[in-house]
Amino acid sequence: MKATNSLDHLIESLRCLPGVGPKSAQRIAYYLLQRDRDGAAALAAALMQSLETLRHCQRCNTLTEADICERCLSPQRDASLLCVVESPVDMNMMEQTLAYSGLYYVLMGRLSPLDGVGPRELSLERVLARASDGVVKELILATNFTNEGEATAHYLSEGARARGLSVTRIARGVPVGGELEYVDPGTLAQAVRERRSLA
Amino acid sequence: MLRHRVDAQAAYVLHTYPFRETSLIVEVFSRDWGRVSLMARGARRPRSALRGLLMAFQPLELGWSGKGEVQTLTKAEWLGGQPLLSGKALFCGYYLNELLLNLLPREDAHERLFSVYAQTLRRFADGLHEADLRRFECALLSELGYGLTLAHDVEGAGISAEASYAYEIERGPVRLAAPGDSPLCVSGRTLIDLAHDDFTDPRSLAEAKPLMRALITHYTGGKGLETRKIFMELQELS
Ligand SMILES: [Zn+2]
Repeated sequence: MKATNSLDHLIESLRCLPGVGPKSAQRIAYYLLQRDRDGAAALAAALMQSLETLRHCQRCNTLTEADICERCLSPQRDASLLCVVESPVDMNMMEQTLAYSGLYYVLMGRLSPLDGVGPRELSLERVLARASDGVVKELILATNFTNEGEATAHYLSEGARARGLSVTRIARGVPVGGELEYVDPGTLAQAVRERRSLA
Repeated sequence: MLRHRVDAQAAYVLHTYPFRETSLIVEVFSRDWGRVSLMARGARRPRSALRGLLMAFQPLELGWSGKGEVQTLTKAEWLGGQPLLSGKALFCGYYLNELLLNLLPREDAHERLFSVYAQTLRRFADGLHEADLRRFECALLSELGYGLTLAHDVEGAGISAEASYAYEIERGPVRLAAPGDSPLCVSGRTLIDLAHDDFTDPRSLAEAKPLMRALITHYTGGKGLETRKIFMELQELS
């Protein structure tokens, strides 16, 4: 077996980054070592520190330095509402709306049967256990409106119902300020199917 | 290698995989070209017109060109008319796709199977019926040349509705003196109903399920299907 030197090792390690192939890995390695050694040192230190200090919040599953994150402990939040989202980015979007003051559970993924990601791989049991703490009154499913997001929502809603929890799904339809002329046909079709009575 | 240029082809997305930073590899089931792999460049960019369009279970019209195993998607249009699948039907949709991904060879046209697939998805949208799943499984196996022998038993004798049979994979039904209890043991009535695509008799429908499962397990090389595993985990909840 060929012994690898530090440079090869670094290039190989960089390939664990999403979307980084052998060529990009080589480019990044040379950049860091030749042009920005301080940046490289800071990156290495930040990575090491994050690995040591960050873990998943016991309640919402986001990354935090404490066992339970600040948001989950905040008395300002309505603990009777628990909103399930796929990723931290989705949670930040929900926060930006200022329309929601409950708590979250971040799945860090979605069901994807054809990729072998099932309820077990996603620990969906933990979401249901979290929602069964006796304080949560409503489980709000805000997974994406993709097939995978729908599959995830369906599984959680079945599980929640089996436990006697009240469960809701965020609505979908024409965007605010959206003109029908410019809405994609799939969205419009579903909006027609899910129309609601105004009476 | 043949160079294709396909303009407006009725197709369904079976599955997608991320490729590089912003692209997708799309596994497609098309009407005239069967299963093809297409590269959708930039499909994962936030403002890509393809985002949200390359969705499984929706009838699309696709165009592509190029040569080799993965060709380049050049056009995608949403045809509509198929409500989004939800609930159990969605999981069954994944099951159909897993079967096609596992069993369908590349670039082999299967027009009849394509229309059975489209019809099955439309039926799923009105509510899930076991018979639709069985009908699809039968169509898939017969299209691939794995069709069941249903007209006669291995001795060449006609099937008798009242008799019991053990179905031997790749041989056919063997008449039994008494009903057996293996998944491959079925009544003559079930074989006759399968031959006519008739699943109105609940017993035939019930017996067809383990028979189809055994055949599919055999032809997928004995490996368990992911979608079946997840479906079982779903059933355990309630
Ligand atoms: Zn938390």
